[in-house]
Order: sequence, then structure tokens, then C-alpha cells
Amino acid sequence: MASDTSADVVVVGTGVVGCLIAEQALEAGLSVLMLEAGPRVDRWRIVENFRNLPPSLRLFHWDAPYPPKPWAPHLETRMDKEQEQYLQLEGPNARAYLQGYVRYAGGATWHWAGICWRLTPEDMRLKSLYGVGRDWPFSHDVIEPYYTRAEYAIGVCGPSDPTLQWPPNAKRSKPYPMGPIPFGPGEHRFTEAAARIGMINLPAPQARNSGVSYDGRPPCCGNNNCFPVCPIAAKYDAATALPKIEAKGGKILANAVVYRIETGEKNAIEAVHFFDPDKRSHRVTAKIFVIACNGIETPKLLLLSKDERNPNGVANSSDQVGRNMMDQPKLIADLELQEPLWTGVGPVQSSSILNTTQGEFRSRYAGAMFRMENFARSPLGAAAALKKGLVGKALDAEIRRLSACTARLTVEHEIMPSADNRLTLSSKKDWLGINKPNIYYDVGDYVRQSAKEYTVPRLQQLAAELGATNFQLSPEFLNSDHIMGGCVMGAEPATAVVDADCRAHDHPNLFLPGGGAMPSGTASNSTLTMAALALKAADAIADQLKHG
Amino acid sequence: MGNSSHHLGALLIFFGTMAAGICQAADPPDQTATAIKRGEYLATAADCGACHTAPGGKPFAGGLPISTPLDTIYSTNITPSVDFGIGHYTEEEFSRALRRGVRRDGANLYPAMPYTSYAKFTEDDAHALYLYFTQTVKPVEQRPPPTQLPFPMNIRASMIAWNLLFLDSAAFVPDPHQSPEWNRGAYLVQGAAHCSTCHTPRGFLMQEEASRALSGAQVGPWYAPNITSDPISGIGRWTKEELAAYLRTGHLSGKAQAAGSMGEAVEDSFQHLTAADLDAIATYIKSVAAVHGPADDASRFTAGKMFSELAALRGRDGIKSDNDADPSGAALFQGNCGSCHSAEGQGSKDGYYPSLFSNSATGAKNPTNLIAAILYGVDRTTSGGQAFMPGFGGHATDANPLSDRDIVVLGNYVLAHYGSADTTITEPQVAEERRGGPSSPLLALARAGMAAAAVVVCLGIAFLILRRRKSSA
Amino acid sequence: MPDQDRDDSPTAFKLARRKVLVGGLVVGGVAALPTLPLIAAPASWSDQSAARFMEISLLLIPHRLNEEVGKRMGAAMAALNPSLSQHIDGLLSIAREKNARIVEDFFADIPDGPLKETALSIISAWYLGVVTDAADAEVFAYEYALMYQPTRDVMTIPSYAISGPNGWTAEAPPLSNMPEF
Repeated sequence: MASDTSADVVVVGTGVVGCLIAEQALEAGLSVLMLEAGPRVDRWRIVENFRNLPPSLRLFHWDAPYPPKPWAPHLETRMDKEQEQYLQLEGPNARAYLQGYVRYAGGATWHWAGICWRLTPEDMRLKSLYGVGRDWPFSHDVIEPYYTRAEYAIGVCGPSDPTLQWPPNAKRSKPYPMGPIPFGPGEHRFTEAAARIGMINLPAPQARNSGVSYDGRPPCCGNNNCFPVCPIAAKYDAATALPKIEAKGGKILANAVVYRIETGEKNAIEAVHFFDPDKRSHRVTAKIFVIACNGIETPKLLLLSKDERNPNGVANSSDQVGRNMMDQPKLIADLELQEPLWTGVGPVQSSSILNTTQGEFRSRYAGAMFRMENFARSPLGAAAALKKGLVGKALDAEIRRLSACTARLTVEHEIMPSADNRLTLSSKKDWLGINKPNIYYDVGDYVRQSAKEYTVPRLQQLAAELGATNFQLSPEFLNSDHIMGGCVMGAEPATAVVDADCRAHDHPNLFLPGGGAMPSGTASNSTLTMAALALKAADAIADQLKHG
Repeated sequence: MGNSSHHLGALLIFFGTMAAGICQAADPPDQTATAIKRGEYLATAADCGACHTAPGGKPFAGGLPISTPLDTIYSTNITPSVDFGIGHYTEEEFSRALRRGVRRDGANLYPAMPYTSYAKFTEDDAHALYLYFTQTVKPVEQRPPPTQLPFPMNIRASMIAWNLLFLDSAAFVPDPHQSPEWNRGAYLVQGAAHCSTCHTPRGFLMQEEASRALSGAQVGPWYAPNITSDPISGIGRWTKEELAAYLRTGHLSGKAQAAGSMGEAVEDSFQHLTAADLDAIATYIKSVAAVHGPADDASRFTAGKMFSELAALRGRDGIKSDNDADPSGAALFQGNCGSCHSAEGQGSKDGYYPSLFSNSATGAKNPTNLIAAILYGVDRTTSGGQAFMPGFGGHATDANPLSDRDIVVLGNYVLAHYGSADTTITEPQVAEERRGGPSSPLLALARAGMAAAAVVVCLGIAFLILRRRKSSA
Repeated sequence: MPDQDRDDSPTAFKLARRKVLVGGLVVGGVAALPTLPLIAAPASWSDQSAARFMEISLLLIPHRLNEEVGKRMGAAMAALNPSLSQHIDGLLSIAREKNARIVEDFFADIPDGPLKETALSIISAWYLGVVTDAADAEVFAYEYALMYQPTRDVMTIPSYAISGPNGWTAEAPPLSNMPEF
């Protein structure tokens, strides 16, 4: 039985990865204690938080409904004081690593889009096929069953028509648990326009209940609020897993900030230490430790835990902890259109173009995923119309026109892992006296070349195909919140932090699953791959504890 | 030895079947096929599967735990399995179980099996059901858990006296003054559909109170409302067409939606009945004598109106990293209910999410169904699709649980603005609903009665012993 | 690319100068924002002032306006703009002069300057649900903010259902339609 200070498996972090592992461990008859840095807040409170925000913070400031606790800081978009900023960012593309995640019980899936693409077999063999980046230490065939289990565990809907599925060349062992979510008018028009120039906009597999309930959660009714929060839990977020974990006997401690991993004899992990909000320290022991705090917090914790046995940080004999930081560098294009596109119908994201991520060109520059954004543009249309000083009927008509006849297109690039894109410990400390994370980020020529030769011209073609009268590109790359690479996976302990089961090479009872383990970032949303890695790690954990 | 006894057995079975056939004039094959189809239809009308099929279990294999005010009763395996089901049952034994509540071994069934209603089945229909169950349903070789009610209810023989008092064992007799449609409706309502087992209030010994037929009763955590023709307390203002539509789809915009056991009844039974039978049921139900609840001053279907406290609330209940210690009804409503039921409670434009005003779940004086809906939600699938509302804490795994206190505050807010404005709910009420509904005092009193009787008997014996000693002294 | 549409950028991280709409005034640079806690409406702001605020609001905006929202909004605007009462009187007198029933009847006659800015800021407040769109602004309306109404036949108000599950289609009504509100 788990207590407040001990269990068979201690999981640090209650995001999607931590929760999937906790559920699997409990199924296997193991005791589980979860430690969460931040608070546990009810969904309805967050929904009301969102509605109470001023308009300027309801869009794009996806962390605004989640004011952080002093002891668990995350991106703070409401305070105007630079010195209180948590992420210390530097490098030519510092702006592109301004990652939004949530240090609340449930983690960043509170405000994820819910998009569940799988990697292609080629995505996992970049080195062998294109001479760039890293290969995964196993093939697509190995991860496919875990993708399927992940889809059923969190409830993913998607098309049954193989011509609409992705990857196009890898067989699915089971159909999607639920059928696809219908397009709104905007997606329909966008799909037709894109197809005319060879860009195939596919209905996205999404962790959203489609038409029917799943796991006791209701189906999507088009709240169009997936980020920052699904008001009804039709979208899977890890917060929905918490009551299930407790019902199965798991223990969850909120407001418990782990700040040190303690090693012992034979460099096994002995304990983790956490602070409570009164800054008192507690020591927690386990047989297996899972650090699943996301791709920034996990490497940060490993570096913080340096000791005599591990002078570079826990799990860091390879010196790769904190290196290879990846995301999908993003560009956005804001368009004015002659004809309406109409967003705000259905989920905020429901489709993507992926055929642009694959090809021989990947030996020279990045593949990229394109999409239109489907959040309701009415607040933007209204703000723009009001600025023109219009009144009465003219104002209403212009609000309607600007809401319908503008659009945002997004392109997310694949970045190469680079040892220089690195998380280290800043000298600045947070409220608990813990070093803040410092990240140096440069998207690299691989991405810049892609933007120049490929993705920006393609965006312009898309805009033309949509009948755009105006096209404004973001002046620099932005974050996509898909934090990867900081605990990279590989077969060789000299060049990788974890093995194929996300087990630390240096410590057999330490697992570091999640985005941090991914050796290739690719251009598509990382969460389903993280979930698959979580289930794979969970199998290894159960196996290890049962058979030693 | 083996071979010949096998043949002997076969011969006996053959003659046995012949004998059974002779005893009741065996049907020609095409009549049998028709009878089996009729049996299947009647089994749907009677919704045998609602109890005899466990969720995720094989059809009619039993094992469903039925919580009653007297503890849990498990449904039995009524597939034709010889070892675990009714494979041994003759037609007469089947009919006795169905219509008299007596098992093949002579033991009594508890009236959780509504034999008091099924007594109305005609011989022909009992025959059809027997054929369906023994010839078409697949045998399932599984023993469901046995029912073990607490003492003294585990003494099944106590049902003999109960049946003597309360069982009307006559089969249905049509009323010559009524139309064939009315009679068909009466036959279905009083018999197969067994509406009274939920909708008729029960007396102290758990017998249906015939004088108040269909005027409403508690069913676990839900309340089966008054469906008599009273225009205020019942459904007297519904048209026949509305009632038939409600039975077929499970909802009527601006009036009601079926949840709990009624949701199941629509899903498993009513939606599969013929239009003619639904009309017949509606015709009969509309004629049931009006029973007026003395406290009812308004219909449960017309209460409330569009409303919100948003003008005062918005921007004022903050942006917080903690749960509120004491959230208001308005905040709880907007946060938990508004996304589907709309900001002012008017429901979605397409009617999928019902309006919370003009809705019997909130408009009834008895708030049971409002509490149950919040705790357990609604899950009802018909040919029109799935109607789903999540539960808010009735199950430990619910994603968004609400405490008793929050349900009281939220429920009272909903009642005040969208429903029965002078009804309020309390924490003990919610806690009781969470436990599965009120329990019956019958058990405690029966035990007290037994204890008292035992004391009397002991005292009597002691007295007699003392007297004998005295006299022999 | 508009500055204020940066994904997840905290207000402090903007590289260019930020423009803030305060009432109808555009203030360049890093503006001083109204401080918290909010300044109270001046003592001269009365129920009558609130009634006149509603009167001019209904003339400037030809739609249904919630009176309780109006009370909150008027008091907050009066706190920011001590001349609000006079401006409202000025606007009402222009409207009366023109026998105005709707805004188009008299708006052209409002002189440029503080009077016009106040008129525009009243309109803006009703549409956006805030008086100033700053990070710490007081929010008076979200569901009742008029900005969602002109497209209400297609787009949902975020966090509220558009229909039953999967109940939407790729059909959209013509741009020339205007919902009634």
C-alpha cells in the first residue's frame, strides 16, 4: 500500500505520461504514489477563471486561467514584471522556446489541442534515410501496438477510411475507438483549397469523444475551447485520470515540489525529496522512480540532483541531459480574405496537412505540418472593427465580416537535435530557492532553409488559393509547446540518457518517459508518441518489479 | 452400459417431449415460429433483459445486482442451461415462476421479479415466452451469485403469506366497455410493461397501493413520477401522441427526459415496440384515474424560466489557483452546467441538451430526480443516438465530482430559478441518494418484531417451566 | 503581424511598443494601467447617472443591453473618466437635437475630441465586456459581451455548446445575414 512517503512506484508529475504509468502500475498490482508540484483545481474553477479573463488574455495566453502557485512557477502571462519570469531564455530563437505548460495536477494536457498523430516509420529513421538527426532505437512496428493502446486508453477518434489515415504506409492493428468529428465550414473550405495545390488536409485523430461518451466522459459539443480548457472533459486531459487512479488505490500528493533525486549504493535511486508550500522538506522512497514532469522540468531536476557519484547530474554520464532541446518552430500567417472561411465551429483544431512532412528533401531542410486554426475569430473581428471607429449597423457588419473573412494559418517545422540547444541551471532562483531553467535555442539552418525555400512560399500559395487579399507572417519563430529531446533515447549510454524503455542508462530503477526521450522531434504533435512511450515504460516497470 | 443408458436417456427424452406435447397440444412448426417471434417481442415488452442480463454479461444469464431497500437481490440465469438456468423447467413450471412467483423447487421469488404484474399474461403469451426462452435463447453455463437477504427476509416462505395478501393471480380479462386499443394498452401496462412496479407507491409491507395506482414512487435513487391523468400532479395535459413519442424516444422537449431505470426501459423495451402498441399504452395510461398530490399546486412541466446571475457574477468570482471553499450556486451552475445547458439554462438550439426550465427534473416538487441526475447523469441510447449527461460524483471515477454541500447549493440554485421554487434539498438527502436511495424501515422493524416475538416466546416458556416446577414442588 | 496576437507571450515579453486602448484614447508606449484595487466612482455618480448611462448606451448601440451590466460598467467608466457625466449629458443633448432613435441619426454630429472618444469607448465597453483591455481589467461581461453576437448564427461563444454532439456541419449561412440581438 502506498503511504505519503513510500510506494512500489513513485511517479513525479501528474501529466498524461505520469498518469498512464500510474494506471498501468496499479493494474499490475503495484502500489503508486504520485507527487505533483502544483495545486489540484476543479475543472469548473478553471472554466470560470477563463471566462473572467479580459479578452486580450482569453486567446493565445493559454496559461492565463492557470495562475501558478509561487512554489510551482510556470509561464506567467498575466504579470508585467520581467524579473519574475520563470523560463530564462537566450539565443537567436529564444522566443521560440517560451513554452506554455501547466504545473497543476493534470499537467499541460489541460490546455493541449488534443491532436493525436502517429509518427511515420520514416520519422523514426532520419539518420539512416536522410543522413540527419538521430534514429530511434526501435522501429515503427515496435511502437505501433503502444500507439493503439494509447488511443484506447485516452479515447482517440479518427477516420476508418484508410485513405484518410496517417501514416499512409503503416498498417493499423485496430480501428480508432470512435469515428471522426465533422468539419465545420472553415475546415471544409480549407481542405478544398489546399487539395488544389497538392496539400492534403486530413481529419486529425483527436483525443476527443466523438458522438458518443467514452470512459464516462461526454462527447464533444463544440465548445470551441479545447485550449485553454475543455469545460466538459470531452477532450482527454490527465486531470480526468486522477479520480480513477485514486479509486484504484493510488495516492496523489499535490503541492509537493520535488527538488532532488537521491542516489545510493550502486548508483540506484534511493529517494526523491520534495518541498511543501511551507518549504519543509520530505523524503519519499520507492522501488522504481518515474520522473515525468515534462521536457523542461525533468532535465532540470536531473541537473539539480548532481552528487558525488553523478557530478554532471543524475542520469547524465552521457552529458546529454538538457541537450537536444526540441519543439516544432512555428510560423503563423494572418490572412484577410474576400470570402468567408468561418471558424469557431467544432474543436479549435480538427485537421492538419502532413504530406508536407515527408520526402527526400529532409536531407537538406525541414519537413513541416500546415493547418488552419479553428478558434472562433469573433473577438478578433470585433476588436479590429471597433478600432475603425464604426458604429451601429456598420459596426456589426464589419465585426461579422472581419470575423468570417480573416484566417490564421500555422506551419510547424521539424527541428534537428543539437547539443547546443541546451537546458542548464540558471543562477536565478525561484520562490523555493530552486534554480530556474535556462534554455539556449537556435532553430538552426535546417529550419531556416525550410522556411525560405519551402514553407513560407507554400503558405503564400495556400493564402492565394484561399483568395487572401492580405498576408502577414510572424516576424520570428514561435513555440508549439511540444517539449522534446532533453533526455534523449538511444541504445548507447555514451550518447543517450535513456534506453528503449525510457529507463535511465545510469540508474536501472529510474525511468524518464515522455517528450524528453524522443530522438526526433518531427513536425507533428508529440503527445500520442509520449503516451505510447509511457505505456512501453509501464510494461518494462511491471516486468522489472515482477521478475527483478 | 454407457451406450445403452445413453439410448435409454434419449428415448425417455423423446417420450417426455411427446408427452409434454400431447399434454398441451403441440404446435405445428410454422405456428411455433410465429409463437417464438411473439415470445421474443413479449420478452422485449416485459424487458426481461433489464434485470436478467448483467452489464457486459451474456443475454439472460443473470447476475445483475438489484439494490432494493432490503439489500441486494441478484437476478437469475434464465437461459436454457440445465445446470445453471431453466433448462429443466417444463412449461408449467415456467409459467408458475413467471405468473405466481414460485420457482421450480417450490421456493418463492421476491417481488423484485414482478410476477405480480406478469400474472396478467395469458396462457398463450406465457406459452410464447416459454418457447422463446427455451428454444431460441442460447444457454449460458454460468452460475450467478446467490441472493442472500438479511434475516428474516431470507426466509422465502414468508412470501407465501405476502402473496396471499397481495397477489392478484387472475390473468388479464378485457373490459367489454372499452376499445380493443384500450384493452391492448391495459394488458401491456398492467402485465408485460409492469409500469406499476415503479410508478405505484408501496405500503408498509412493500405491496403496491392499488388505490393510488401510478401516482409515483421511489426507485432506488430515482423517483418514478405520477403518470395518472391528473392535469397538475400527473400527465393529464400530455396528448396521446406526446406520450407515445416519449416512450419511443425517451424525451419530450420542454417537458421531460427519461433517465435511470426509465432510460433503460426506453432503450431496451419501449423503443422496440410497434407504433400500434405504443399508441395503445398511451391510450390506456391517459385513462388512468387522476390522483392528485395534495401538496402539488403547479405542474412539474411548466416551472421556471430563462435566467442567469451573470451580470453580477462575471469578472467577480476571480481567477484563482485554489478551489473555492464556499462557491455560490451561480458559480457552480455556470462552471458545471452552463457549457451544455447554456448560460441561461435554455439548453442547446437543437434541443439535445434540454432546457432546465419547463423540465420535470427540476419542476417536480420532489427533488429526487434532480439530485440523481446530478450524481449519476443520464445514459440512454435509442435509434436516434445516445443521450448522455455525465455524473458528477455518483461514481468514484467521475471526472468532475461534486461534494454533498456543492450539490445542495447547486441544486437549490437550479430549483429556485429553473424549477420548483419552494423545494429545497439538504445534505442528508444528497448523502442518501449517493448511497442508492432510501432504505426501508421494514427490515429493522421485522427484526424488532422477531426479537419481540422471541422474547415473548422465551418468557412464555420460562413461565410454563416455573409453573411446572411449582406444581411439582 | 499585430503585436498583441503573440502566442503565449507574456505582456512583458513584447519586443515592440505596446499600444493600449484606454477608453477611446490610444496611448503609445508602455502605458500606465489603471491600478488595482479599482478606483471607486466619484461621489457624484448616482442612480440617475446610471440611468443616463443606460439611456445613452441604448442610443449608441441598437441592441438589448443588460441593465445590471450597465450599472457596473458606468460606475467603472466614471471612476476612470471624471468628466463622464458631462460627456453623457453632451451626447444626450446632441441626440435629442437630432430627434435620434438610433446611433446613425446623430453620430456624425458628435464633434471630434473627448465627446467622440467617450461615445466610442462606451460602445467598445459593451462589445468587449471590459472598459480597458488590459491584463488586470475588470470584466463586466463575457456571455453578454456583444462582440459574439454578430456571428452567433455560426460561431459559438467559446466554452458554450454549439449543438448536441457532432451536431454541426460544413454549411454556413450567407455573410449578409445578421442575427437579431
